[in-house]
Amino acid sequence: MLRAERRVSRKELADGVGVHPQTVGYLERGEYSPSLALALRIARFFDLPVEAVFSLDPLPAIGSELTRRTP
Amino acid sequence: MTTSPDQTFLARTFEDGRYAWTRTHRVRVRAVLAEAALLGALAVATLVQALTDDGWTTAYFLAWSAGMLLFIPLHSLLNLGIRGVFDRGRHSLDEHQEGLREHSHSSVGWPMTALTFAAWAGGIALASGTGHTVLALCLGFLLWFASGLLPYWHLAWTLPDEEDDALSA
Repeated sequence: MLRAERRVSRKELADGVGVHPQTVGYLERGEYSPSLALALRIARFFDLPVEAVFSLDPLPAIGSELTRRTP
Repeated sequence: MTTSPDQTFLARTFEDGRYAWTRTHRVRVRAVLAEAALLGALAVATLVQALTDDGWTTAYFLAWSAGMLLFIPLHSLLNLGIRGVFDRGRHSLDEHQEGLREHSHSSVGWPMTALTFAAWAGGIALASGTGHTVLALCLGFLLWFASGLLPYWHLAWTLPDEEDDALSA
């Protein structure tokens, strides 16, 4: 999970994007799809393009992706 | 759309970690059942009282008052379990909480309308047709009261358990 890999607490992320911490939980468990505005704020929080954070398909963990790309 | 939920005193109370035990599905369902049972008991007591020859006794109204007083802590428990999303200002809710509130309202829209109609139409018909004004007032009030509680009950019943925050920090 991106948040865990960045060592960001749920509360820090929630405060950073202007939602309640439990909403972050619902997002992470796939029980809630965010609005476009919230998705963009989350992407900006992690300094990543939105398509790197949200996808219709399961995303690989960033750590494993970096390991795969390292020669 | 809310981008920064304000933490009012009421919102802080509903978000207080000391009440995390109320936010489990089991507690919420029990609170719903307890509220429904309480309203049912008051309705039964009203009907029983109407059928007796004693009329509307002081004991009946004391029981009614006790029931309404018991409702206060029960509904506080239920409200803590759903983080008070129906009673807080919109500015203190984020988009997910607003969505939950609107979904529950729309899901019970027809039953709410039917109960409210039954309360008013039934009460007026009962009072004007049979002269049982107190019975009509009490039953009408209970039906109208239940209609207002339906969104709370729907959300409390359908909201999944929240993940333990200690695991997610």
